[in-house]
Amino acid sequence: MGLQWWCSAQATPWSWSWRPYPGVWLFVIVLAVAFVLLARGSGDAGRRRGWAMAGLLTLWLALDWPIGALGGGYLASVHMLQYLLIALLAPALLLLGVPDIAWARLGESRALRVFRLITHPLVTLAVFQVVLVWTHLPAVVDSLMATQSGSFLIDVLWLTAGLLFWWPVIAPVPDRERFGPPLKMGYLFLATVLNTLPYAFLTFGETSYYGIFELAPPVGRISARQDQQIAGLLMKVGGGIILWTAITILWFRWYNRDAAAGDQPVAPPTS
Amino acid sequence: MIQLRWARLAAAVIATVVVASAAGCNVEPQERRDAEIRARETGWRGIVLENPPKKPSFVLEAADGRPFDFRAETDGYTTFLFFGYTSCPDVCPVHMASLAAVRRDLPVELQRSMKVVFVTTDPERDTPERIHSWLANFDPDFVGLTGSKAVVDSIQLSLGLPPSIYEDPDENGFYIVGHASQVLAFSPDGSIRVIYPFGTRQSDWIHDIPKLAAAAD
Repeated sequence: MGLQWWCSAQATPWSWSWRPYPGVWLFVIVLAVAFVLLARGSGDAGRRRGWAMAGLLTLWLALDWPIGALGGGYLASVHMLQYLLIALLAPALLLLGVPDIAWARLGESRALRVFRLITHPLVTLAVFQVVLVWTHLPAVVDSLMATQSGSFLIDVLWLTAGLLFWWPVIAPVPDRERFGPPLKMGYLFLATVLNTLPYAFLTFGETSYYGIFELAPPVGRISARQDQQIAGLLMKVGGGIILWTAITILWFRWYNRDAAAGDQPVAPPTS
Repeated sequence: MIQLRWARLAAAVIATVVVASAAGCNVEPQERRDAEIRARETGWRGIVLENPPKKPSFVLEAADGRPFDFRAETDGYTTFLFFGYTSCPDVCPVHMASLAAVRRDLPVELQRSMKVVFVTTDPERDTPERIHSWLANFDPDFVGLTGSKAVVDSIQLSLGLPPSIYEDPDENGFYIVGHASQVLAFSPDGSIRVIYPFGTRQSDWIHDIPKLAAAAD
């Protein structure tokens, strides 16, 4: 068996022997270099660097051996874990890691008009849901995960859709005054509701849907259907934990901001 | 300059998504297409043999040590016959796991009218006890049989299957056994024989088993 550059389905039995995936390393290195370039001349690099590194680390863990290899063609549940890490967790951390100077540059750019359109919350939520559903359709998974380029496409789609999804919540640019904490919380809550359909499809399905995982050499004694049910539960519970954590943080920030505003001394009336 | 960079980045992302989406939409696994074409043309997801030879008659040792007369003991049952070995890393456990999962999902009367018979192609390593405990991982009702390699090879040849081949052992003494990867299915009266190659999905078995079971009526 030759060297693989990206994790995808294999017809060979699973082995706990480490395998290199140079495409994954290159992908993460390119992103890391992009962050270094974005942070040039930034005074807040230290503060943001931690978030960016956490995002890159999450992405690397999700894409490389063993999670990437297991999710690439052995276990639907691990494939779902990859989805949570690549589409939900890593994008939020990466956006938090973008230095202020990069946001400022974007704010001054004429491309801002385009970004204002494609990062509109209705657009981002729709794109995220379409990608979520499309990349979990059995025919799409079975055809794309069979090749390294197809598997790469799914991962890139997840990351792109995740970045778009979190953009209105985290990114300060473009400024959306009316999209304050209550609407952001509502936006995230809607996402928790919308993933119910694929969750139910996977968890309560009467048969296993994905040939790529059903016909994969077995890992442990888990059946294909149990594996799929765990994948559905992970989508709902794992996704819920990430989204509700974000909702909770937003709520406390909103509460603290209002409380701080309420503590301000009231200016005496002027006659 | 900055505007140009963003525009290039956006164009690259859009182009990648469009090209790859088009590729993803048009690709269907070949096995799926074949099974669906067969289902449209013949009504079966498996491959139905037009003039199958009679259900074979052979006696091998069952995992509990008693002799098992294949034709007599499977008469009146929808029977699935598979030649494999318990150290098999891929095809054998997938087939057994699929058949076990499918059997669990069938109505009780179809479960009772179905027998899965596993014949080892590796009698040196596969003792009756080992076959019994391995099959119990999937379904304790599955029947495991063993016999000499020469006898098992002759049964396979009589069914149109190639005899099994032992590859050279590795440094740990582990060796792979090359064997036919298809499951043979017989209707209860033995009149229909269907072949299920590796790649057959659980949904394919579920589609065909009621038809196979009804073929005796």
